[in-house]
Amino acid sequence: MTSYTEPFWSALEEGRFLIHGCDGCEEAFFPPSPICPHCHSTDVRWEEASGEGRIHTYTRQHTTAADFEDGIVVGVVELAEGPRLLAGIDARYEALSIDDPVDLEVRRYDQAFDRGRLADSPFYVATVRSE
Amino acid sequence: MTGQPAPTVSGIGLVPNGRYSIPDRDLALGVIREAVAEAGIDLSAIDGLYMPSPRPWTPQGFFSTYLHRLLGLETRRSIEVATGGTSGGHAFHAAVENVRSGAVEAALVLALERHSLIETTGPYFDYVATLFDREFETPIGLTIPGVYAQSLRRYLFEYGIEREDVAEIVVKNRRNARANPNALFDEAVTRREVLSSRPIADPIRLYECPAPCDGAAAVVITDGPSDGAAEPPVSVAGIGAHHAASHLLMSHRNEPTELPAIAESASRAVADAGVGVDAIDVFEPYTPFPHIEAIFAEELGLVGRGEGVDACLDGTTAPDGAHPISPSGGCLGRGHPPMVTPLLNHVEAVKQLRGTASTQVDGAEYAMTTAEHGHVNGVTATVFTTEAPA
Repeated sequence: MTSYTEPFWSALEEGRFLIHGCDGCEEAFFPPSPICPHCHSTDVRWEEASGEGRIHTYTRQHTTAADFEDGIVVGVVELAEGPRLLAGIDARYEALSIDDPVDLEVRRYDQAFDRGRLADSPFYVATVRSE
Repeated sequence: MTGQPAPTVSGIGLVPNGRYSIPDRDLALGVIREAVAEAGIDLSAIDGLYMPSPRPWTPQGFFSTYLHRLLGLETRRSIEVATGGTSGGHAFHAAVENVRSGAVEAALVLALERHSLIETTGPYFDYVATLFDREFETPIGLTIPGVYAQSLRRYLFEYGIEREDVAEIVVKNRRNARANPNALFDEAVTRREVLSSRPIADPIRLYECPAPCDGAAAVVITDGPSDGAAEPPVSVAGIGAHHAASHLLMSHRNEPTELPAIAESASRAVADAGVGVDAIDVFEPYTPFPHIEAIFAEELGLVGRGEGVDACLDGTTAPDGAHPISPSGGCLGRGHPPMVTPLLNHVEAVKQLRGTASTQVDGAEYAMTTAEHGHVNGVTATVFTTEAPA
């Protein structure tokens, strides 16, 4: 058996960011799961997101676990399609504001944390889009 | 009213929050002896044991079973709970429900925390990383203050609150803790000291984080007042719990500044007690960061949305205010052994109702406590009263 989320990581390698849509209630959601968290329908499908979103909130964490760089900038990104997700933000903390437009970008994973079966998969960060 | 046994707090025991080098065993035995002695019962009368499952790094494993042998105790219920910060709240509620149903006649609720045994930026942060979505979030590297920092930023943004004013909630709770002999801190802090303390996760500063420490507490619940008890009985009038459809900061339904588990659990607890929130004279909540205390007041309807910080600034939540919150100092003033904080809140509520609190709210007859886990994703609420059950 393969992991349910395997299509997400395969698509990410190709530069596409996949989320889920529900045919039961028309809501989009993330992370992907075979059960819709809005209406509990199992009539769900993979959908490609635009990767565009806005910063809902954010922080700069000064002290981190040993596997991570200190001073990481992290935020909640609200995707144009609706779902929100946590993401690292590749930007200077001082330059950020709530509602800044961002794009999710595929990146090689560069922290020491062991992602197990996904150790060689890329990850994603948000970058600020100039409007 | 229903003819059910009335769960009654007959004895409490605790050690001051701090750092202990003695074994877990000795911390547990000390608070158990104190609580059982105060309840005026024989240890052999205890027929239920309830506790948060000790943290993964606690040296002694299989703790509740270990205690049964050590104490020569036989029970009809023995439960360890592992839901993070609500573990002590759920353990207490299980005890209350078992006493109400008659399954147990004398319940012992125990909690201990050995935070001093784990290095914060090492194995502890590694443990915290596992609390996030392992595949999509853990690789980002966030910790708990980084979660609360983001709800604080959004809270300031949504309601136009002055960031500096939030520090006043720390100032109040540190001031309240000064008189509490069991608190980690005995010195007050100024707004300026809070705001110039080390940044942890912007905009949260060190003094706005609950200080982790060791602790232990025990509570004996009997099925009605115990004849031999050393102190007047306090009834457990109502319990309520709720888990929102959320995990740390992420919810499909609510803003990070909304904490519906507080409102839902509290309304169930007061309904169970047969009163309204307006009957509560004093609150001892599990609110680990200052803006969470502000949102707590909002979720309970004590003040409107976005007015929780003002409620501190204008004295509403001071010990002599209309809605006293954390006269004991709470997590921010007492220090925070997460497995024990729910029971410490209960202990402080009981003291308020006995009239023996370190910062006493005059004439308190009803007290509410809460516990929470994650980013207040799950909450337990408990109402205590001096009133004898009808």
